[in-house]
Amino acid sequence: MAPAAAAAAPTPAGNGTSVSAMAVDGDVAAAASQGFSLDPDTFQKIHPAEFHRRFLSQGVRADGRPLQKFRKAKISLGPVSTANGSAMVRLGDTTIICGVKAEVAEPKPAAPRSGFIVPNLDLPPLCSPNYRPGPPSELAQTVSEYMDQVIKSCDLVNPETLCIEPGHAVWVLYVDIVCLNHGGNVVDAAMIALAAALKHTRLPQATYYETESTVRVTDTFTIPLSVKRTLVPVTFGVFDAAVVIADPTAEEEAHLSTTLTYVLDAENGEAAYGVLKSGGSAVPRDMLVACWDDARKRAVDVVAALAEAEQAGNRRPDVAAV
Amino acid sequence: MAARLEIVSPEGLRVDGRRPAEVRRVLTRTGVLSQADGSAYIEQGNTKCLAAVYGPREPVKRAGVLHDRATINVEYNVSSFSSGERRAKLRRDRKLLEIGLMIKQTFETVVATTSFPRSEIDIYLQILQTDGGAVHTAINAATLALIDAGIPMTDYVCACSAGFVNDQAILDLNFLEESADVPTLTVALLPKSGKISMLGLESRLHIDKLEPVIALASDGCMQMKDTLDEAIRISTRNLAKTVLH
Repeated sequence: MAPAAAAAAPTPAGNGTSVSAMAVDGDVAAAASQGFSLDPDTFQKIHPAEFHRRFLSQGVRADGRPLQKFRKAKISLGPVSTANGSAMVRLGDTTIICGVKAEVAEPKPAAPRSGFIVPNLDLPPLCSPNYRPGPPSELAQTVSEYMDQVIKSCDLVNPETLCIEPGHAVWVLYVDIVCLNHGGNVVDAAMIALAAALKHTRLPQATYYETESTVRVTDTFTIPLSVKRTLVPVTFGVFDAAVVIADPTAEEEAHLSTTLTYVLDAENGEAAYGVLKSGGSAVPRDMLVACWDDARKRAVDVVAALAEAEQAGNRRPDVAAV
Repeated sequence: MAARLEIVSPEGLRVDGRRPAEVRRVLTRTGVLSQADGSAYIEQGNTKCLAAVYGPREPVKRAGVLHDRATINVEYNVSSFSSGERRAKLRRDRKLLEIGLMIKQTFETVVATTSFPRSEIDIYLQILQTDGGAVHTAINAATLALIDAGIPMTDYVCACSAGFVNDQAILDLNFLEESADVPTLTVALLPKSGKISMLGLESRLHIDKLEPVIALASDGCMQMKDTLDEAIRISTRNLAKTVLH
């Protein structure tokens, strides 16, 4: 192998310098020694997996982050004034908007005092060139279902607090999460948005009238929801079944051998409410433990971002959405 | 009729304090999404719309390929939390499909599709919050996103709505006005030629009143043209700066 090609160590794209000699395998390496070189953009298009492998072997990633560095979560509350609660979350390029709409419904006979929370993640073709119009993708459905399970199992909001009149009327909270820009790690962004939007949700005062069997609600949204805990999702990607990277981007996600998602209770860093590793390559147990430690550190940062958002934009209805 | 909302007060002001021929505050941004080839965001009053354009790119389905020009696909989507009443999302909502088709046909006449044979251009429109005039806001957003994507067009497409109430035409109706049985006409106009490319009216309006309503809506479209043009000039100036420095 030609020395020029062997030494081809990529430079993080973040600092603006270009990578000169980036050859791929033996035959291309030979070409490199004859003065042939690919610019980084072309190399990424032709050999995306190798492109990332070269970065990771140097302990850095294509966007300039170290392996274990998460992108800062930017949260703004109340971008949609028509919703009872809303939040916009950004993780790097990933942009997610979440709106909570409250509706009155009849409870199930088996649980006459329990309201409902219905989360739904939408990944419209708007958010990524890889999605096309059609029925919701498998990813969107899986994540929606997973969020539903986590919300129920950890008792995020006591369903009985959503009761208006036992046996007759309860609140249903439709939590609609729309991905506007898919820059990777949609699961984390979606769940942070869900947590933020629920904390921002205000319900109107509702009264049940026995004689007419109707519910009347006030025009103003005043009653905050009692959200018991702050759930923080933390996702890691595993590259080549060996290298763990935190908070993968869309480009990295396409080449991961598996992903790992922890859902933590941020106030109580010792409790996990979910761990999701859906197939893919097997990982050693000590990797799971090491990731858990990083996840706890990350949860602290996310909670700080949430608190900051709550202070900055408390019920400010006129914040520009984008 | 006394209980009915007063659309224009005796002082000549509307519910939100505007004059009859006044458009709402418009805020525009281009290039807001990193994944899309072109994108734009428009806020017209409290109506918020996001537009993303992908393409020209290779079509996934062979069936839709036209050998002499590009096909345009439009998906018009309304977020379920965008309006006062939550709307359950139907997978094939006919109303949304119809609006999408209308927008698609509007842009087919303006986009230079023959420059890109055998390819497709996808326009995705997402309404984040509605307060009336969602369709015309979406059209304006699509125009900006197409220009942001660098797709050649013969002209801007500028849209605005107008209605008729209390013997006078009013411009750019908000949700309260739209839902108070005011006949609403949406016009999309090609400002260079002044020709009308789309006209939508779905309620009764006396034929004698049609002319003044169209005239007012067209006037609103020309105002929108200035706003869109300004947005494009700003983004182009910024682009030129980054290229030159």
